Amino acid sequence: MADAAATAGAAGSGTRSGSKQSTNPADNYHLARRRTLQVVVSSLLTEAGFESAEKASVETLTEMLQSCFNVDTLPAYAKRSQRMVITAPPVTNQPVAPKALTAGQNRPHPPHIPSHFPEFPDPHTYIKTPTYREPVSDYQVLREKAASQRRDVERALTRFMAKTGETQSLFKDDVSTFPLIAARPFTIPYLTALLPSELEMQQMEETDSSEQDEQTDTENLPLHISPAEASDLWSLTPWPPSSLSPSDSCPCLLRILCSVLHCVTWHSRLPLIAATAWPPLGQREAH
Amino acid sequence: MPPTGSDPARMNRKKGDKGFESPRPYKLTHQVVCINNINFQRKSVVGFVELTIFPTVANLNRIKLNSKQCRIYRVRINDLEAAFIYNDPTLEVCHSESKQRNLNYFSNAYAAAVSAVDPDAGNGELCIKVPSELWKHVDELKVLKIHINFSLDQPKGGLHFVVPSVEGSMAERGAHVFSCGYQNSTRFWFPCVDSYSELCTWKLEFTVDAAMVAVSNGDLVETVYTHDMRKKTFHYMLTIPTSASNISLAIGPFEILVDPYMHEVTHFCLPQLLPLLKHTTSYLHEVFEFYEEILTCRYPYSCFKTVFIDEAYVEVAAYASMSIFSTNLLHSAMIIDETPLTRRCLAQSLAQQFFGCFISRMSWSDEWVLKGISGYIYGLWMKKTFGVNEYRHWIKEELDKIVAYELKTGGVLLHPMFGGGKEKDNPAPHPHFSIKHPHTLSWEYYTMFQCKAHLVMRLIENRISMEFMLQVFNKLLSLASTASSQKFQSHMWSQMLVSTSGFLKSISNVSGKDIQPLIKQWVDQSGVVKFYGSFAFNRKRNVLELEIKQDYTSPGTQKYVGPLKVTVQELDGSFNHTLQIEENSLKHDIPCHSKSRRNKKKKIPLMNGEEVDMDLSAMDADSPLLWIRIDPDMAVLRKVDSEQADFMWQYQLRYERDVVAQQEAISALERFPTPASRLALTDVLEQEQCFYRVRMAACFCLAKIANSMVSTWTGPPAMKSLFTRMFCCKTCPNIVKTNNFMSFQSYFLQKTMPVAMALLRDVHNLCPKEVLTFILDLIKYNDNRKNKFSDNYYRAEMIDALANSVTPAVSVNNEVRTLDNLNPDVRLILEEITRFLNMEKLLPSYRHTITVSCLRAIRVLQKNGHVPSDPSLFKSYAEYGHFVDIRIAALEAVVDYTKVDRSYEELQWLLTMVQNDPVPYVRHKILNMLTKNPPFTKSMESPLCNEALVDQLWKLMNSGTSHDWRLRCGAVDLYFTLFGLSRPSCLPLPELGLVLNLKEKKAVLNPTIIPEAIAGNQEAAVNPSSHTQLVGFQNPEDDHLAKEASCNMSAHQQGVKRKADTPLGSPLEPGQILEKNEDSSKVKLKIRFSSSQDEEEIDMDTVHDSQAFISHHLNMLERPSTPGLSKYRPANSRSALIPQHSAGCDGTPTTKPQWNMELPRKGTGKEQPPLEMSVHTAAAAPLSVFGKEPASSKHSEHHHHHHHEHKKKKKKHKHKHKHKHRRDGRERGRGPLAFPSPAGGRSARSPSLSD
Repeated sequence: MADAAATAGAAGSGTRSGSKQSTNPADNYHLARRRTLQVVVSSLLTEAGFESAEKASVETLTEMLQSCFNVDTLPAYAKRSQRMVITAPPVTNQPVAPKALTAGQNRPHPPHIPSHFPEFPDPHTYIKTPTYREPVSDYQVLREKAASQRRDVERALTRFMAKTGETQSLFKDDVSTFPLIAARPFTIPYLTALLPSELEMQQMEETDSSEQDEQTDTENLPLHISPAEASDLWSLTPWPPSSLSPSDSCPCLLRILCSVLHCVTWHSRLPLIAATAWPPLGQREAH
Repeated sequence: MPPTGSDPARMNRKKGDKGFESPRPYKLTHQVVCINNINFQRKSVVGFVELTIFPTVANLNRIKLNSKQCRIYRVRINDLEAAFIYNDPTLEVCHSESKQRNLNYFSNAYAAAVSAVDPDAGNGELCIKVPSELWKHVDELKVLKIHINFSLDQPKGGLHFVVPSVEGSMAERGAHVFSCGYQNSTRFWFPCVDSYSELCTWKLEFTVDAAMVAVSNGDLVETVYTHDMRKKTFHYMLTIPTSASNISLAIGPFEILVDPYMHEVTHFCLPQLLPLLKHTTSYLHEVFEFYEEILTCRYPYSCFKTVFIDEAYVEVAAYASMSIFSTNLLHSAMIIDETPLTRRCLAQSLAQQFFGCFISRMSWSDEWVLKGISGYIYGLWMKKTFGVNEYRHWIKEELDKIVAYELKTGGVLLHPMFGGGKEKDNPAPHPHFSIKHPHTLSWEYYTMFQCKAHLVMRLIENRISMEFMLQVFNKLLSLASTASSQKFQSHMWSQMLVSTSGFLKSISNVSGKDIQPLIKQWVDQSGVVKFYGSFAFNRKRNVLELEIKQDYTSPGTQKYVGPLKVTVQELDGSFNHTLQIEENSLKHDIPCHSKSRRNKKKKIPLMNGEEVDMDLSAMDADSPLLWIRIDPDMAVLRKVDSEQADFMWQYQLRYERDVVAQQEAISALERFPTPASRLALTDVLEQEQCFYRVRMAACFCLAKIANSMVSTWTGPPAMKSLFTRMFCCKTCPNIVKTNNFMSFQSYFLQKTMPVAMALLRDVHNLCPKEVLTFILDLIKYNDNRKNKFSDNYYRAEMIDALANSVTPAVSVNNEVRTLDNLNPDVRLILEEITRFLNMEKLLPSYRHTITVSCLRAIRVLQKNGHVPSDPSLFKSYAEYGHFVDIRIAALEAVVDYTKVDRSYEELQWLLTMVQNDPVPYVRHKILNMLTKNPPFTKSMESPLCNEALVDQLWKLMNSGTSHDWRLRCGAVDLYFTLFGLSRPSCLPLPELGLVLNLKEKKAVLNPTIIPEAIAGNQEAAVNPSSHTQLVGFQNPEDDHLAKEASCNMSAHQQGVKRKADTPLGSPLEPGQILEKNEDSSKVKLKIRFSSSQDEEEIDMDTVHDSQAFISHHLNMLERPSTPGLSKYRPANSRSALIPQHSAGCDGTPTTKPQWNMELPRKGTGKEQPPLEMSVHTAAAAPLSVFGKEPASSKHSEHHHHHHHEHKKKKKKHKHKHKHKHRRDGRERGRGPLAFPSPAGGRSARSPSLSD
């Protein structure tokens, strides 16, 4: 860097003249950025004690700056005590934005940011606004929704299974209206029949720990869904030993479908998650 | 009843009550069973047994043991090779030359065959000759050790292998094997004395794969690995003397749980089921404590094992110190419905450990004592565990069952041999099987037998008090346990056997009461009592005039004489009266206590001391009677039909505190569809304190009443608003609350109400739309997420409800059922069923209850014509590999289809499954279901009924089911249901002899049309006069007969039914005459034989197997005992003995088919003499070779004697038969007129008090 010397001013004017040639807005942006970087390099050089620098040196330094830019150390560097404040670039004709949306107070710049820098955007663009749908508190609607939801998922899933596998039919002339998944014998039938599925076990543990209160029917369903539980949903993929064996004809998708269904049917604290996550399922299948 | 070979000497001995005397000339003291190789792949077993016996007679030279299926390689006695023969007459009951196809004949032959090898009569399939070198040894009554090497290859009964066809080693696959069977079936898997009365100590060794566990009786002494460490041997010792029939085995890769409460108890289950096992058995220790406490006796064995296995033969099988259960009894804590059922099974098996395993029976006729006691103490456990209501409900249920069975099918005799010659008073209640042996019984009969036994035990308790009862049990147990700890002393060990007389003696010793009349009524006699009660109130005398009639002429009934309790609830209280029921008194005056007519302010005292307010406005103003109950304590095995006014039943339902009374009131109220009945039922339904089963019954009654009142019914459908109030949300009444089954009572009610509601019908006889919507909503809004319990049974019942709502489809011109003309309601139902059934594939419910209900519902839809009737779906679910409950439900549908659609193909499919299915229970169940819902019956014309089917079923029961007593009896039951006792009417030729006999008796009924007549004819064939008829065959009169025979024949060939009294003169075809003539010479020949044998035809018929068997034994004893020779089929043996006869026999039928049916009789007549001769010669010749002259002569004498006994008995029987025949005639004459109708009497007298 020692051999690189040029006048900051010359360097600055040189690039400025070049910028005029391009008309394209993307190029424009690119040039403006490059210009700013050159200003930065020049000011750094000035800060370091150089008085002038050759254009080629400044270009090289700019290239270097562009390629090894460490963001992490930037704030500390920006706040260094003997920093030099770079003057505003001359082109600052800001368009006056119409203040249609106003929310909260515009934030002032922190002290290390020069005032000629553009202001923070309007608060509505970044402030977190906790909004949610009015919770459905009508018990009847909730039950209705849960019920039809489950029914849709069950129907969709069983139809899917029926379509992908062998079926039996009650009507000779029609195989699609009431498709019955074909009965397939098990090698060890009693295991399926006797062992509760994993989900049932889980449910049992939960109800055991929270000792079912005498009046379950408070006519409010608990609606809180924590992210942890939501992710639980997906960890249920392993098959309970008793469930139908994931045979070769059973695609991956099916496993996922099944686990969704498990949740819808059994998971005690997830009344509507599947409803919001999978509404298309039922419809898609229905169309 | 023909003789069954059990000699009367034994009966007499029992009457004499000299303790137990073994029917064998030796006493068994110890037995070693060693199975050193079990191959699951090939399903084979190799091992040996060693029996230690002490001769009790000096000249013992033959030893009879029981063994079936086993291939016996070698027998050694005290290390000397011994000759043996093996003959099992039950393999094929009637031999191939017999074309008789007559169930009577079969039953007799089967009873004879069973007796011929009955260990209780000292018989056995395996006969071993004591080597002559040991005779001296025997004479000194010194010990003999019999060593038998045997193997079993693919056993069809006795041992059941379950080998799932998956990858992996046998242990990984969960392969297991266990012993099973009905009654004494141990002979199916090792040679033994398969009698409950032959006790000995045991050493049991089983060498199995190291990954497997062998569970057997007694203490596990040690397990020893083999050198290669790949196998280990389990050594069990059972020091308590035990009968072979109580020995059991289970081998499998079991998971083991030591009971946390009682360390001497161990539980075993199949892999992966351990959590269920833990939960299921966690209750068992309480049962233990209960029994030990009431019996004041410790559990007799030092350890107890429970094993839960798949494909169980029965749900519960109790053996010495070990019980084998069906794995399907296991359940988790989430399951409500199965829990009480499983606990009941556990308790039942434990009760049988004391009475049945530890204490054994002397003979089959003492079985009722053991079943009675174990059933009775199990009842006490029920009372303590589930409460008095449940107990009384159970007793009532059992009573209703036995009453229904006896009235429908015939009497159940608890002590079949007790009466000896008195059987005339009580003719055999069951014509198609013998009740003298457990292995000839219909399974249903045996179930009812057990039921009756414990009810009778309860009657004894009523008489002598529970305290004495328990003292008697304690006495039996302490005697037995003293005896069990003794070293071998033949007389001591017999203390462990219970007999009827011993039990009765104990009762009289302990209680000092005479219960003889009670025993005579219920134990020595079959039948139940049928009471009809009606009454009038005599206002002037303030007396209740009660009339109690009995029907004791219907089959299955008996007359009751003795005390009868009647409870009368009056305004002033409840009063008990004991009436004396006598021969001729029908009317009883009962003074009423209530002097004050109507005391409005006073509360009314009930029986239990409670005082209640009643609205008395419904009552008759003149009478103080609220309700009357006849025999409220169920102290008689009876059915009571009593007449009361409707309001009395309503009062009884509302205010009587006894659940049995409430249930009686409910069933009576069905006849009174009035608003008042409706109100009473609704009140009961709503009453929380009311017993839940009563409330459930009220649901169904209410549905019936609502249907009867349909035109005047107001308000929403019955129970709808009630259900809404109880189980639906307050804010949205159409939505059911989320499930909470914490209160079991309301759970059961919640399950039942929709099922009952679905039975409602509107004026068009359709299920109201409102009800269907209601049920569909219940299904839709069912939400079990917050429930601690599984809702699978609830959901299954909702499907049942849907099925109940289905009504027959309106069909125009028999149109084909297609989707297009599907009723919209049915479409909704189908939609639900489809979804449920498909969901079961993804999330199966416990025991697949939902699949089961879906299959039933689909069958209902098919039957009602909504869905095309088609068995293919059910057939796929019935395949092996589905859970057993599903299979049974599917098979039930196929059985129903077979009946409704008269499908021969499906019937064949079912019968094939009966022959081939790997699961014995399923095979048994198919026969059972076919019997209950037969495709046709004997009194019905059906295209299914043809000769091939007769042959097939005959073959099935004759030889196809020899490996399973229960199955064979099931086949007999089915044969009886389909074809009746006599020759099936579909067979082309009637039997000549039958016509002959009827002619002679001037009977005018054609036996082929009225089956019972033929039944009588079998007996008539005994009559010697028929022989003379036959001898003079060529005289003109006989031409008539021949003509008749031929007409009948031709009529049958044309498939035309003829009345018997059609003239005999139809022209004969020349060919037939010719044949007759040809044949007559043979007939003559035969007759000469049989007449010389004086009238023994049938007798020999029935005993010929045993005869052949005996003679065969005598013959064969000299033969070398090679494995090839060791298995003689009885048919071979006989043809070897009488070749000339069988040749003649075989020849005729083929050339002259028309005479086919005559041949069997010829056969039986003709084969008699050679047999007789062979017995004599055999007795003389080979025995002399034995070189023991005194012994042999004694033996032959014995045979003669034996034979004479038969003759004597036969004569007796003949009388009886005649008697019976006459009786039949009388009854037939009376026919439909029936008995003095109680109904008539009833209708003459109005039930209302206002009369």
